[in-house]
Amino acid sequence: MGTAAALISLTVLVLFFGQLIVTRVPESSLKLLVGTLLLLFGLRWLHKAVLRSAGVVALHDEDRAYRQTVSELRGAGARQDWVGFVLALKGVFLEGLEVVFIVLAVGGTGRGMPVAIAGGLFAMVVVAAAGVVVRKPLARVPENTLKYAVGVALASLGTFWAAEGMGASWPLDFVSILGLAAVYFAASRLAIFMIRRPVAA
Amino acid sequence: MTFLRAAWSEVVGLFVADWVQSGVIVVILAAGWLLVSRVGTRALVVLVLLLAAQLVWFARAEARRLLSSGPL
Repeated sequence: MGTAAALISLTVLVLFFGQLIVTRVPESSLKLLVGTLLLLFGLRWLHKAVLRSAGVVALHDEDRAYRQTVSELRGAGARQDWVGFVLALKGVFLEGLEVVFIVLAVGGTGRGMPVAIAGGLFAMVVVAAAGVVVRKPLARVPENTLKYAVGVALASLGTFWAAEGMGASWPLDFVSILGLAAVYFAASRLAIFMIRRPVAA
Repeated sequence: MTFLRAAWSEVVGLFVADWVQSGVIVVILAAGWLLVSRVGTRALVVLVLLLAAQLVWFARAEARRLLSSGPL
């Protein structure tokens, strides 16, 4: 029930804000706003991934988090249904908000909302199917590497759109995103190197 | 109400982990905007380098803070 309520809320958000963004907001303002938010979002992920890769913050263990949630639920006793509902709602809604934000950002700035929504839904189906079929091996997927790559991609896209929203035009247009990704990747490797060095000494 | 407040802080947390770092990023973007309007596309180089530099700076600063506050 919690999952269903969260999915309905997320669908309403996409339909409402998607329509509002496409029809009401001027493209340059949208690119600047979405680019800035995407940049903040991506740099936050990249920042965390750097600290995890450098060994300063422990790697996130999905399997342990799952076991911890199950044990919390077992201890909830008579309130189990309500706690389960809130946990499912909170988990699916908050994680889904990140997806909604990316769909709105990509769809709104590129004026391709239906394609972005279709991409988001397709990803959801693939992830759900993979979760059912290969749950055990999934726990061994290097989550930090995935988050690291997504952080670099989102920060690059965010910078690209924010600058376009400022009125700048990138040399080589979309190809510049690859250059931006290379710069962010190099900066993150430099940060990891600089953080690890004093620890080893 | 507590749930809504927690949800709101989670939403803000999607974009902001450290208010100082987020403020610096916004200031860099604002300066980049000003530069782009004056010097044009060449300002993009400065903008990207500043954004990359702040990533290195803040990651290193947080690592130092975490390491000095004790073991993991």
